Amino acid sequence: MRTAKGNLSPYLYLIPSLVFLVAFTYYPIFSSVYISLHEWNLFTREPVFIGLENYAILFGDTLFWRVARNTLVYVVGTIPLTMVMALVMAILLNERLGWMRNVYRVAAFYPTMIPMAAAAMLWVWLLNPGIGLINHYLMQLGLPRIEWLYNMDWALPAIMLTAIWKNFGYFMLIYLAGLQNMPGELYEAADLEGANFFQKVRHITLPLLAPTTVFVVVVGIITSFNVFDLVHLMTQGGPGNRTNVIVYYIYQNAFRFSDYGMGSALTVVFVVMILIVILVLMRFLERRTHYEV
Amino acid sequence: MRSKPPTTLASALHRIGLNKLLLHMILIVVSTVTAAPYFWALSTSLKLRRDVFTPVPQWIPSNPTFQNYLDLFYMAPFGLFLLNTIIVVSGILIVQLVTAPLAAYVFSRLRFPGSGFLFGLFLVQMMMPIHAVVVPNYLTMNALGLLDTRLAMMLPFWASGYAVFLLRQAFRQVPRDFEDAAVIDGCSGLRFLWHVLLPLAKPTVIAFSLISVVTHWNDFLWPLIVTDSPAVRTLTIGLAMFVQQESGADWPVLMAGTVFVTLPLLVLFLVYQRRFIESFMFAGLKG
Repeated sequence: MRTAKGNLSPYLYLIPSLVFLVAFTYYPIFSSVYISLHEWNLFTREPVFIGLENYAILFGDTLFWRVARNTLVYVVGTIPLTMVMALVMAILLNERLGWMRNVYRVAAFYPTMIPMAAAAMLWVWLLNPGIGLINHYLMQLGLPRIEWLYNMDWALPAIMLTAIWKNFGYFMLIYLAGLQNMPGELYEAADLEGANFFQKVRHITLPLLAPTTVFVVVVGIITSFNVFDLVHLMTQGGPGNRTNVIVYYIYQNAFRFSDYGMGSALTVVFVVMILIVILVLMRFLERRTHYEV
Repeated sequence: MRSKPPTTLASALHRIGLNKLLLHMILIVVSTVTAAPYFWALSTSLKLRRDVFTPVPQWIPSNPTFQNYLDLFYMAPFGLFLLNTIIVVSGILIVQLVTAPLAAYVFSRLRFPGSGFLFGLFLVQMMMPIHAVVVPNYLTMNALGLLDTRLAMMLPFWASGYAVFLLRQAFRQVPRDFEDAAVIDGCSGLRFLWHVLLPLAKPTVIAFSLISVVTHWNDFLWPLIVTDSPAVRTLTIGLAMFVQQESGADWPVLMAGTVFVTLPLLVLFLVYQRRFIESFMFAGLKG
């Protein structure tokens, strides 16, 4: 590393990025704190200072807690299933499979390449209560027909199913990359000891994949907290707010009801949540890295 | 670098009386299930409306037709949406490929007061999603008079912590001697970055570019908020508006729209499959 003392040039190189970084990532955080202390909606010409009232209203509203709950159910429900599917597929695909391996890989990965909005439409069609494919096959199996996106209990799981289908291929690829970096000697040693396939997965593969898993969890948590497109196109938060999640709720408040004060208060709550997740995970990652090195 | 464990799952299954065939069977079932949603949409988009309601689902349309695609273009300007998407996606990428290498160069080669803190700012942005700050950013765009423009869809992405992070890793791999030699030849700073570092970091540049294109092709919430007129809308927003407009559930046309929105990237993906898969693997690992 070269040191640049009294030299301004490093900062000049950073200016182009910093302008946009400050304008669209850091300034917004502070400005939303400021706006959240104001009443600013269709009925107020200009922002009126009201202190913490937006937060008081927010935390006193049962809908907010419903939204928080939905978001949590979504995050906690999708991540483990996505991870398990991704991991199992990666372990299977890491075997010698010949040219078919490419076919399997494409079949699992292509959903990553399509927009969430398109994924939503594919599944709205599949989940159509009357003429959807899924209900057709359910009934063929002698199972009852489900109203999916129109049903209070099934709407959120249906969205979660769509998300798992859309995302597991990406995480599978990350796990595959992790598997391809495994040291062969450990497996050879295990073979000499007479370990079977499942013992090796349990005692070698999984522990060595721990850093990969941490990465998958980090990315998984952050992307799932941001779920919006699926909700917007599949249910609009309904039925009865059973699929209303935090980003959709922000969207509703700020852009449907034009309540920027409340939208900003929600933004602050959300940013704090995300920052906590980032900080906790960074700590965790750091410890991991030291341990690895 | 890959070394195969000598005892494979196949041989383990063999020992308990199963074989590779089972492995393929499991994978075929999973692949069929994951491929089915798209195949079904494709099939629906090629059907006559009356063939959608058959009691037995027609996986292969009995009267295939392209009429739904023609109707789609008649009902909404999907060609224009495609053009807007291409403009926005390339506008984002081109600027990112200017701003990110500059920042990555400084972080990989120089230590200066505040470098740790500044790099931290980039790292946090990498993890802080645009979704979190759409409200204040919308107000900023409003104040700048940029609502309903393609520029508004690009601006927030012109600094990319992720690109800086990936490129910094790549630049660090380049040995010190290269730079010393280059400096002796009178090639330093920007010229060293352009003529030596960037060419050597080509795999990273390609990986990041592909990921950036896919990400922004698929953007939804931000373009939804800042656009208002069809003239500037991108494909994903065009699709969403079309869905609302066609609430009568004309499924063949809706599926034609869905397929059209996904097709350009999927075709690219199928053609350059290896490149895409390697890029996503590589960037994921580094991240």
